[in-house]
Amino acid sequence: MKIIKANDGPLTNFELLDYLRSRGASKEVAVTVTPSEYKVFEYLVETAACDQTRERVTDFVQKVKTYNLAKAEVLNIINIRPPLPVGIFTIVENCDTRLGEAAAEELAEMVSETLPPPPAQPEIQDADQPEGAIADGDPQPIADPDGEAAKAGAGGAVDGGDDMVEDGNLGDAS
Amino acid sequence: MFSLSLIEHTLRLPPHLLGLSLEKAVRHELEGLFLDKVIAKLGLCVSVYDIRSINGGFIFPGDGAPTYTVRCRLIMFRPFVGEIIDAKLKDYDENSLRLSLGFFDDICIPPHLLPTPSHFWPDPENRNRRRWVWEYQTDDENQTSGSMFAIDEIGATIRFKVQSISYPSIPLEQPNSSKPFAPMVVTGSIDNDGLGPLSWWE
Repeated sequence: MKIIKANDGPLTNFELLDYLRSRGASKEVAVTVTPSEYKVFEYLVETAACDQTRERVTDFVQKVKTYNLAKAEVLNIINIRPPLPVGIFTIVENCDTRLGEAAAEELAEMVSETLPPPPAQPEIQDADQPEGAIADGDPQPIADPDGEAAKAGAGGAVDGGDDMVEDGNLGDAS
Repeated sequence: MFSLSLIEHTLRLPPHLLGLSLEKAVRHELEGLFLDKVIAKLGLCVSVYDIRSINGGFIFPGDGAPTYTVRCRLIMFRPFVGEIIDAKLKDYDENSLRLSLGFFDDICIPPHLLPTPSHFWPDPENRNRRRWVWEYQTDDENQTSGSMFAIDEIGATIRFKVQSISYPSIPLEQPNSSKPFAPMVVTGSIDNDGLGPLSWWE
C-alpha cells in the first residue's frame, strides 16, 4: 500500500454524517453499512452535526469570514457549536488579542442563530436543568445541587454555512 | 477530526468475488482490508470514501486470482493537534483519565494536563475509591476560597483539546495480563477555559 496523499482534505462531522446517511445508515436500521461505520454514525448523531444542513453550514462559513479565523478554528466551531463566549475562547487561540470579548459574544450569538442546537442529552443525573445557561462561563461547583446540567448547551447542531464544502471534499453520491 | 487520505494499493481479488461488479468487489476487499484498522501516520480508517481508479487485472503465473492496482480515498479518523472534541469518560485511575468516542477508545488525559491544581483524593461518599478533583481557587483581595469539582461520572461528556497523537510500535512480546495493545493513542488536555466535563460550563 502506498500513500499518495496523506491529507486530501479535512471533513466536518456534518459531511461525514451526510456521507454515512447516503450510504444507508439511520437510527433504526443499518444493513448497508458495516458495524464499525455504524459506531461512528451513532457517535455523530449525538453531536451538533446531526441537524446541520449544507445550506446553513455554507451560510455560517460566509458569515464567519469577517472574523478572520483559521480554517481549523472554523472547523472546530462547526463541529462543537459553542453557544456561549466561553466556548469561543476555548476554540480560538489568543482570543483576547484577536477578537476581544465583544466580538466573541457576537460570534457566539451568530453561531446560535445560524446553526441548529444539538439534540438534548439524556439525563445522567436526576437534575433537570432549565435552559438558561450562565453567560459568564464560571464553572459550577459540585456543592451546588442545581449545578448538574446534563444537557449540552454548547455543541448545539449548527446549521450554518460550512467552509469545508468549498473544498469539494463533500461527496455528493458519486 | 476526520479527513480524507488518498492511497494506492495492489489488491488481489479472490475468485469468489468475481461474480459481483468490479467496483463492488474491489470495495468489499478494501473494506475488509482497511476498515477499523489503524494506519501509521494516517489514523484510524473509518470508511472507504470513493474509488478513483482501478487498473491492472493481470493474473500472475501460478496464481488463480487477478491483481488490481487501486487508487481510492479513505476517510480517516485523525484529529489534529489543537482540535476540541467531546468524548465520554470511560474509566479513570491515578495515572490517567480514559475517554471513549464509541468507535475509538484510546484517548488518554495524563495528570499533568488536568486543570491545575488537581488531586486524586478519596471519595467522601465511598471510602474505598479515589477520584480526581479539581480545586478551583478564586482570589478575592486577601481571601482565597476554593471549590472542588470532581471528575468522576462515568459516561459524562468531557470536552478536551487534542495535545498529541502517537502511534506506538507493535511490541514483540507482551505479558498476558497487560492491556491489549493500542496502535493509536490520542493524548488530550483539559487544562483550559471551557474544557473538562460539560456540566462544569453550563
